[in-house]
Amino acid sequence: MESSCYATEREYQLLRVEGIDVYYGIIPAVRELSLRVERGQIVTLVGANGAGKTTTLKAIMGVLFPRQGTIIHNDDDITRLSANRRVRRGIVLIPEGRHVFSKLSVRDNLTLGAYHRTDREGIRRDKEWIYSLFPVLKERESQMAGTLSGGEQQMLALGRGLMGHPDLLLLDEPSLGLAPIILGEIYEVIREINKSGITILLVEQNISMAMKISEYAYIMETGKVRTEGKSEDVMRRENIMKAYLGD
Amino acid sequence: MYSTEYLFQQLFNGIVFGSMYALLALGMTVIYGILRLIHFAHGALITIGGFIFYIFFTIFGLPFIAVIGIVIALGGLLGVVLDVIAYRKVVGGPEVSMLITSLGFYIFIENLMKLIATPQPYPFRPPVFLDRVHSDWFITFRTVDLFIIVTSVAIMLLFNLFVKRTKIGMAMIATAESGETARMVGININRIINLAFIIASAIAAITGFMWGAKYGQISYDMGFMAGVKAFVAIVIGGVGSIPGAMLGGMILGMLEMFSVAFLPPGYAGYRDGIVFFVLILILIIRPSGILGEKEVK
Repeated sequence: MESSCYATEREYQLLRVEGIDVYYGIIPAVRELSLRVERGQIVTLVGANGAGKTTTLKAIMGVLFPRQGTIIHNDDDITRLSANRRVRRGIVLIPEGRHVFSKLSVRDNLTLGAYHRTDREGIRRDKEWIYSLFPVLKERESQMAGTLSGGEQQMLALGRGLMGHPDLLLLDEPSLGLAPIILGEIYEVIREINKSGITILLVEQNISMAMKISEYAYIMETGKVRTEGKSEDVMRRENIMKAYLGD
Repeated sequence: MYSTEYLFQQLFNGIVFGSMYALLALGMTVIYGILRLIHFAHGALITIGGFIFYIFFTIFGLPFIAVIGIVIALGGLLGVVLDVIAYRKVVGGPEVSMLITSLGFYIFIENLMKLIATPQPYPFRPPVFLDRVHSDWFITFRTVDLFIIVTSVAIMLLFNLFVKRTKIGMAMIATAESGETARMVGININRIINLAFIIASAIAAITGFMWGAKYGQISYDMGFMAGVKAFVAIVIGGVGSIPGAMLGGMILGMLEMFSVAFLPPGYAGYRDGIVFFVLILILIIRPSGILGEKEVK
């Protein structure tokens, strides 16, 4: 760890995860995992199925709680904070497999995204922003979310997350099961969201997509971080590894 | 062989009983949706609602509207207590633990009521203005029958508005679909569970009054059959579906009345038996109920 420059970097850090262990019952899913996300960055967490990526995001969201270690957001220890408190602080997770509320309309899904907010004007503005990002959602405003296509549901899941006015967006496999054209569209929007000032921690199995969009990357393997670094460096190293060692 | 009046009379009775079953089934479904819990203790709230009315109206002589308010308030309060002391610790555990807890709670309340109220049933009279018999029309009914139908329809419409139009109502639907996702958008699930118990229990308590008024008596164990029948209504309509619960309740009410009406005299005692026979038939032919979603394997 480059602990020498740690103190000066600190104020840029939006999220610091330090040595967390997360278990499902007695089975460890994540062990001694540490990671940092700087304000304004897109950081990606890649790795094979079952490496513990989703678990890590859920622990940061507060849906799962680590047995050990701490999670720091904006310099406050949030390790024991419940998920709904974390949403209030600006942490929003967009779960894998979309998980929109299928029995509610598109409009109501967005309304629920802003569940904790009371600033009517801000909510209205965000809704408009989301409709401009995804015009198709505006068209289907009154439709039940369960009747949308896969790509549209992913857009709605993103939109619902954005309605929470996050400063840190946790994105779990937004590419999962999407056609390449829609995939490009979603990634374009992710970039735009980031430009608007929202920090993003992205989990992906689609390595090349994730590396292209992110500045910093962590590669996970069986619950641990195997390697980390600037995305381009990590990508180069991985390619060399593959070339020499096979997959 | 049966006169039109007779058929309409049975139809009307079916709607009255169906309304009560529908109200109970609605409450049970709200709780089931959120906790995946078949809330057998729901029946206990009916008993308690009936007795609260008896105490404040018949014994203390408070005005009717005030007593209905008290029944709703105390019913809701008891719902929260039930949630916090009985369920909070087992929520998220195996479904069996919750089921046993709810049965245990029902048995506890029934025996407590037996201790306090004695096993003797109490004659139960609604206020005079609800007790008037109208027999000069096509069918014969008491004002309280109309009260039951109108109140039930009003409660169901209000509930529907609440779920469709208010943010917290939508949050309830969202929590029923996925508790985890609901937490991710910042919904405090515990509060939603609280609210579900308040609504369901308050409705059950007011149904307790209707039940007592309809049967003319209340007793410590009146909630048992009511709870079980609400469960049957849910299975008929489709477990987990709110419109299904209401529909199931209505169908059950009709079924009961018409089976009594068309069976030879002397067989009326088999009314409950017929209900459970239909339950078994439905479980065999269409286990997911009329409006229920098919299990996705």
